[in-house]
Amino acid sequence: MDATIPCLDAVWQVARLTAGEGQEPEDLVQETYLRAYAAFGSYRGGDMRAWLATICLNVARSQARRRRRRLWEVPGGSLLDALPGSSAERADGAADVADVVIAGLDADEVARCLWLLPEPQRMCIVMMDVAGYTAREAAEVLACPRGTVLARVHRGRRKLAQLLAEAGVSHGQP
Amino acid sequence: MDNHDRLLSAFLAGELSLEAARRWDEHLLECERCWRAVREDWAGKQAAQLMRQPVPSGLADRVAFAVEVAAAERSVEAPQAIPRASPRHGRRATRRRRRSWRLAAAGLTVASVAAGLIVALVPGAHETTDLPAAVAAVARYAQAIPAPARGPHWSPRVPAAPIEVGRPARVVVGGQRIVLRTWRLGGAEAVVAVSGRPFPRPTRARGVSGMGMAWTARVGRLDLYCLNGRTSELVAAPVPAAELAALAARLPTG
Repeated sequence: MDATIPCLDAVWQVARLTAGEGQEPEDLVQETYLRAYAAFGSYRGGDMRAWLATICLNVARSQARRRRRRLWEVPGGSLLDALPGSSAERADGAADVADVVIAGLDADEVARCLWLLPEPQRMCIVMMDVAGYTAREAAEVLACPRGTVLARVHRGRRKLAQLLAEAGVSHGQP
Repeated sequence: MDNHDRLLSAFLAGELSLEAARRWDEHLLECERCWRAVREDWAGKQAAQLMRQPVPSGLADRVAFAVEVAAAERSVEAPQAIPRASPRHGRRATRRRRRSWRLAAAGLTVASVAAGLIVALVPGAHETTDLPAAVAAVARYAQAIPAPARGPHWSPRVPAAPIEVGRPARVVVGGQRIVLRTWRLGGAEAVVAVSGRPFPRPTRARGVSGMGMAWTARVGRLDLYCLNGRTSELVAAPVPAAELAALAARLPTG
């Protein structure tokens, strides 16, 4: 188990952003380690960080199901379309999204917009940009090809940037 | 996926050759669509990285302790869990027995490592070494809870109801089964340990006048308050001993 302690930071980042309502991320981390300990005999080597993240996601999902929460069904697409100045409405000459985003980064707003993303894109961003997993590790955890992870993280980042830019622009409006 | 998308994906994955990267740079200067995609990708990544937060202090200790408790439970229960082998299933039972003992041995190893970690890392953990094992386990568990940033500020006049923090933990120490629950009340966090057997009184403990078998003791930054009755309750909290009985009275013990 000593080998798992350096992975605590990555597991913590995943737990924070996958814990559902009523779930404490600390509890999720603890449960992840307890299950890892219980299943250590079946661990066949390989990427320890990816193994722990897989356990963490499974625990989060099973606890969420137990609580009858719809953790993975945030209606990202519909909310995204409903926002003022959505991508469909935006004119080509609008302010550069990247500039608007970088000028007004705010952690709370980022968190809100992150939850508006479709779950597959959000998970890829959480794994790679927040928890620091490589695309290969994220692909192992999320059980999809590495190319899919890269495509999702790219689409997710762009959508996140657009959402943040829209939020920034709308805050400035009367 | 068109050529723009293919090049973009390869660029973002860092998979362009030197020559391809040079051509891509030239392309970016001319292609507004790809330029915007790269900028938005970068901005989204910067924003997402804001979501990183450091691991809370005390979480590593808490996890180590939880694993120690699980290992201790397993080491006590594993031998009892071995099914009695029938002649027909002799080989399978032998394999299971070997596996159980290997697990138990691994559990004991992890437990000893984790216990060492806790004694080394948790402030005041070394002060539990002269306590009876069951009391020491409760004290170590409570010491693993991080102290509030502004210090505990519980007062008997706090009107709020206690809130349970985390999940109950079960531990078997020296054959004594203990259920540990953590409660938050008015800024202070307290561990309530309940057992069907009395918690042994440490040599340094003081009796509580008029309370029969009740005792209090100080361990590091914690005070312990024990009420031995039909079931035994041991409360551990960073609260002065004089106030601990009042705090304990406000906490559920079921």
